[in-house]
Amino acid sequence: MKDLKHLYTFEQLLESANNPLVREAVDAGQLALGYTCYHMPEVLLNLPGCFSVRLRAPLTGSMDIAGYYMANFICDYAKSLLERGIEGGYNFLSAIMGTETCSEMNRTLEHFEIMKLVPNEKFFVSFLDMPFKVTENTVRHYVEQLKVKVLNPLHEVYGVDVSEDAMREAVELHNEVCRLITEIGQYRKEENPRITGYEFHILNLVSYTCPKALILPMLRETAEELKTRKPDAKKNWRVKIAVVGSEIDDPGFTKLVEDTGALIVVDRFCFGSKPGREVIDLPEDMPVLEAIARHYLNTSQCPRYMSKEKVHERHQTVYDLVKEYHAQGVLYEQLKFCEFWGYERALGSYVITHDYGIPSVAIDRQNATGANGQLRTRVQAFIESLEIKQIQAEKGAR
Amino acid sequence: MKLPNPKQIPEFFRHINDYTYRFNPKTGNFRYREFRGLKDDVYNFYMWLKVWKDMALLVAKGPLNIVKALFRYQWFATYLSYPAFVDRATLGMRGNQLRMARLQYDRIVKKATQFLYDSFSADLNFHPGSKKAKKIVLFDELIPCEIMAGFPNLIGIPAQTMPIFLTSILDQNIVPPYLDAAENFGIPADVCPLPSAETGCALRDDYPKIGCCIISCNMPCDGSVMTSAFQERYFKLPSHPYGVPIRYTEEEVQPYAIEEMKELIKFIEDVSGETFNWDTFLSAMEVYNQETRYELAKWEVNRTPYPQMTGETFWIYRMFFYHLSGGMDKNFLKTDKKVNEIMMRGYQAKAPCIKEMRHRCVEWSCPANFYPDFSIWAQECWGIYVVAAMETLISDVIIDTSSHENALRDLALTYQRCTMRKHTKGGYRNVLNELWTVCEQYNCDFVLMYDQISCKGMDGLRGLFDEQANERNIRLLWVAQDLLDPRTISKREMRQQVNMYMTTVMGEEPVRPDLVDFDDSKSW
Repeated sequence: MKDLKHLYTFEQLLESANNPLVREAVDAGQLALGYTCYHMPEVLLNLPGCFSVRLRAPLTGSMDIAGYYMANFICDYAKSLLERGIEGGYNFLSAIMGTETCSEMNRTLEHFEIMKLVPNEKFFVSFLDMPFKVTENTVRHYVEQLKVKVLNPLHEVYGVDVSEDAMREAVELHNEVCRLITEIGQYRKEENPRITGYEFHILNLVSYTCPKALILPMLRETAEELKTRKPDAKKNWRVKIAVVGSEIDDPGFTKLVEDTGALIVVDRFCFGSKPGREVIDLPEDMPVLEAIARHYLNTSQCPRYMSKEKVHERHQTVYDLVKEYHAQGVLYEQLKFCEFWGYERALGSYVITHDYGIPSVAIDRQNATGANGQLRTRVQAFIESLEIKQIQAEKGAR
Repeated sequence: MKLPNPKQIPEFFRHINDYTYRFNPKTGNFRYREFRGLKDDVYNFYMWLKVWKDMALLVAKGPLNIVKALFRYQWFATYLSYPAFVDRATLGMRGNQLRMARLQYDRIVKKATQFLYDSFSADLNFHPGSKKAKKIVLFDELIPCEIMAGFPNLIGIPAQTMPIFLTSILDQNIVPPYLDAAENFGIPADVCPLPSAETGCALRDDYPKIGCCIISCNMPCDGSVMTSAFQERYFKLPSHPYGVPIRYTEEEVQPYAIEEMKELIKFIEDVSGETFNWDTFLSAMEVYNQETRYELAKWEVNRTPYPQMTGETFWIYRMFFYHLSGGMDKNFLKTDKKVNEIMMRGYQAKAPCIKEMRHRCVEWSCPANFYPDFSIWAQECWGIYVVAAMETLISDVIIDTSSHENALRDLALTYQRCTMRKHTKGGYRNVLNELWTVCEQYNCDFVLMYDQISCKGMDGLRGLFDEQANERNIRLLWVAQDLLDPRTISKREMRQQVNMYMTTVMGEEPVRPDLVDFDDSKSW
């Protein structure tokens, strides 16, 4: 296929958290608000005068200093953020909006507060108390938390406009990004998709890590370009798969998987688009903040939700996505030392295979995947098993 | 080590309590009991017999159940090792300390046997169609059972306590098969072993089949949240996830916490058909308050130059009355009263509680279940005396029983400060700053810091603990362990970490050289 016009630019943007677009927005006087978890509504960090940056630490090498502060049994994503923070890689931030959702990430962000890693007198770190189920009580609680931990400090410290109108404006901007990414994602349902998993991952990542207003023109252009893009006549993949699991902010992982012949058509992982790029509806009879809170609680597929309905919904969602995007199998992945996904990976892959009849493989992985031979071998073996199943199914049909 | 020959008898009597004489590493058992002096030995033997009496009573109440349980549940036979556990956990104790520990362990065995009796007599595996099974509300073990005081016709049983938690304290080798089952299923080996073992127990179908419903919970931490999906899948009962706020020190979370408590009550009412009885609830909370006051008295005394409470019984008993008695079992109050009298007698007489106290120490983070008598060893071997332990310093909330709303509010506050959760969640101040506050309150110069290698909440602050201890000139010794799995780091290896630190960094000689090194890999 012909290369996407902006793909190289997007790849360059992902090589640093403090990328040229971030610097441009900060230079223009905008507040850069860092966050890591889906439970911190990205849209609220894009109120007028602010922009959200989902934190990454690309090209991390040694994590010796973070290893000293956080021990070795902490996930690499959490440690790499701390390492980069200590190096001064996030000095452009005005605040970090955290959530006490997983212990490891919580501890990482606490270091920013304790060690005063960002040299900015007004810099603060905020932590949401996140509920573990979705009920009217937890919705009320979440709304209250968003007021107390996000809106109030932004208004009090930086004078950010947190009115309903401002929130509507932010939702509009957010929805435009979501519509574009969703539109692009639809091509992944095609029999021979005109976009690869790697390209989609790149597009989605820049939408999380760059100022929305500055990345939008390029995303629009890419969406237009894709309308007429022709896939290669000969398929350059062997099977289609869904990737489900914990945080993947490294497009190298997607590249590695696709290089072995598995085209990723579903990205049901943190930093993915399922969920993450659904349009937020604002019912007229509901306060905007409540509508936002309900959206995030209802769409979240995080394994920390404990109620039976949510557990079932997680597995059903994977099954539905597999069917919708014509995936042949599911790759459950877990960032090593992630407690939540450690369990969910095991249970999810069991349920999806035994209860739903979808082949799956479960792997754990390091954050930086470069030259990971073991991982490549696991994926190759999975691809071969899917192909064998396909051959057997065809024979059976005859 | 062989016993000395008869010619060396005088030498033997000089070292009669030496571990190297008493302990047989080939069998993992003691060759003979510790000699504590006539008066203490008579008392100790009497209490030892009482333990067996309580266990015999359990058998007598339902011999068939017990026989079936012995064959059905791998963990059950472990309870036969309870007397040996108490012997290990009272190593070197004399006088008041022996009596207080024995009284508390005696109460624990009584409560444990009651739970076992209730479980087996209602177990659908043994009694299909049992009506009693429908009278049982299963709880995640981290949910304190105080709320059940409002349901006097129901029995609250913590699902995992008897099969996993308590057995792991009694026998170091009982849990690994459950951990293996979880790992064979695909759960990583690096997660916290407690929820992993609970999952393994479900995978091996080793829980009694009881209950009209199960209450899961988000306490204390991430692993416990995740094991609930496995347990619910296993028990196949109506379930209710009870949510407890994480940022519990913040006022804004309290309305949510109270509402969660109300929803919990409503769920139990709906499932069981019972109505919450405020009279029995408030009456039990009065008892609970009294128990808490006795607990606070222990803390107070241990802050003085004449502390009296020693050993693991301090936190194990605390867990029992806080999580399992909940003011409903008034016998705990009787034990508290007796212990308090002994403690105050010792305090007023300024009686030393151990042979040689070199360091006043705080025990922080989760102790290793498979080695609960570790701090007793540290005390006897190196004079590191634990005056306060994180697991003891949980909720100190006194419940206001003047109105229903106040009582619920305070109970919600109490639940938010449950074991482990109080410190490991809600922000670094609850565990980092709190440690230094406790060191100051208890006048400590030493911290035994458990490096529970899979506890992400504690691991995440490792460097800051070190730096801040140095700033305060407090000796902070990390002791790596894997909570329920002695295969990762054995008891002996835990001791070696202390031995190396005390000889190389502190430059000290052991108080009891016979305890420095021995192989107890085969012991319970």
